[in-house]
Amino acid sequence: MGPKKILLAEDDLDDQELFFDFLIKRQDIDLLPIVDNGVALVDYLTGIHDVHAFPDLIILDQNMPLKNGIQTLQFLKTNARYTHIPVIIYSTYTDERLIHTCSALGASGVFAKPFTKEGYDNMINDFLKIIA
Amino acid sequence: MIKRETIQTNKEDLEKELEELRHQLEEARETIEAIRTGQIDALVVQGTNGHQLYTLKNADQTYRFFIENMAEGAVTINTQGIVLYSNSRFAKMANRPLSKVIGFPFEEFISTDSLLFYKQLFEKSWQSECKGEVNLIDGGRPIPVQLSLSTIEIEKEISLSIILTDLTAQKNTQKQLRTNNEKLEEINLALELSNHDLHQFASIASHDLQEPLRKIHIFSSLMKDKENELAPELRKYLDKIVDSSGRMKNLIVDILNYSRLSANITRIESIDLNELVNEIHEDFELIIAEKKATMNVNELPVINAKRGQIRQVFQNIISNALKFSKPGEKPLIKISSKKISHKSFDAEENSTGLYCLIRIKDNGIGFDEKYVSNIFDLFERLHSKDKYEGTGIGLAIAKKIIEKHHGLITASSKAGNGAEFKIILPISQSQPEG
Repeated sequence: MGPKKILLAEDDLDDQELFFDFLIKRQDIDLLPIVDNGVALVDYLTGIHDVHAFPDLIILDQNMPLKNGIQTLQFLKTNARYTHIPVIIYSTYTDERLIHTCSALGASGVFAKPFTKEGYDNMINDFLKIIA
Repeated sequence: MIKRETIQTNKEDLEKELEELRHQLEEARETIEAIRTGQIDALVVQGTNGHQLYTLKNADQTYRFFIENMAEGAVTINTQGIVLYSNSRFAKMANRPLSKVIGFPFEEFISTDSLLFYKQLFEKSWQSECKGEVNLIDGGRPIPVQLSLSTIEIEKEISLSIILTDLTAQKNTQKQLRTNNEKLEEINLALELSNHDLHQFASIASHDLQEPLRKIHIFSSLMKDKENELAPELRKYLDKIVDSSGRMKNLIVDILNYSRLSANITRIESIDLNELVNEIHEDFELIIAEKKATMNVNELPVINAKRGQIRQVFQNIISNALKFSKPGEKPLIKISSKKISHKSFDAEENSTGLYCLIRIKDNGIGFDEKYVSNIFDLFERLHSKDKYEGTGIGLAIAKKIIEKHHGLITASSKAGNGAEFKIILPISQSQPEG
């Protein structure tokens, strides 16, 4: 099994940088180019013609312009081409309602954005468990 | 012949007269019979000065008493609208002596703005009973009255009886009610607005405040990972940044938890409080071991409540008991419970009572009892945050949770002598409050 391809949609540049810094070091992960929002993510996926080039996991920030996490999740889970790809929502703030809504729409997990380096490591390990 | 004819005529006249007298006598007999049996109370007889009213003495006295003493004005008017009778109450309403009422047109007492309406009522009332509101003039300001008009027929003479109900008090009450309702609406609106603001604030606190804070936290902790490269003075500053951002994170989380408690409690479940306290004991294992604390828990009841919230109440109070322990003394926390008959701190013990009283007592530094009403307020801190960490929200959350569960919470203490929290909770949330 080669490294897992992870696609992130995140509009915040600091968070893009943090994510990049933490994931780029890992041999078991192949970080695809980070997209700015849900619309850009859909464009990116539409442009993939080889099924093997699909990401193994999609991470969506909840608060994004144009198409937020939930809206993008809904699109992915109702489009036969993408339903097989596990999707994770991550957000600064998670509550029962967000978790409930995302699970109902078929998300594989809902994560709060970490506050520490260890938090990032744990979250990334949890991602890999989900797609193992 | 002529004489005979005259006699004849006289005889016929006399017979006619006799017949009429007989008829009158018959009528009189019938009337007397009717009066005697109570079918008629009063008579109107054509006299030299027009119609005159004769009444049976007893009935007359009774009715007069009623009519003179009732709170309503009572007036009788004829077809021309002239007042034939008025009780003194009406004269008072019209602010005139009785002698200046009887014999005067009733219209004189109606204010000009209701005159047209009164005339319509007057016309209509001869056909059927009717009611309507008009203003009376008493010389000063108009008096709102309700008129009830109905015809009375006395010896083929029809007149109109009018009962006047003073609506001043009623109108004032209505006005007061309207003013109060308007005020209430204003207050409601203000309340809705402030509720909305609170939710807006919670939402902003949850996302917009937490986002930059998270970055301060994570970037400074990344710097801390490389603190060997920093000068000692800079390391100290960095520690302060990490501490402060950590404290602010706790504050935001606590505020959010507090504001989320406003929603109604759902998902009530059966909770064994013994189990719940055991779990909290495990959570605090480290600090209990560190402080060599003892938790002395008696048999606790099983109650119906929202588990997460009740857990938080116990957690906050036990955490305080451990936090505010006396330096150099082993903390001792005693938790006990009894069932009581009703929702009051001086209710008697009752094994089948619908409420339970839970006491959580510690031997810590306590607090001055003059602050007892403050300690459940948001952000209220009685001890400096340098010595005792915390956000000052814990007990406010505890109080809100207990109140949401239709319970009561109070605390007592003497500074330096430990604190005791008493909580009353209904055994079941479905029980009516009492």
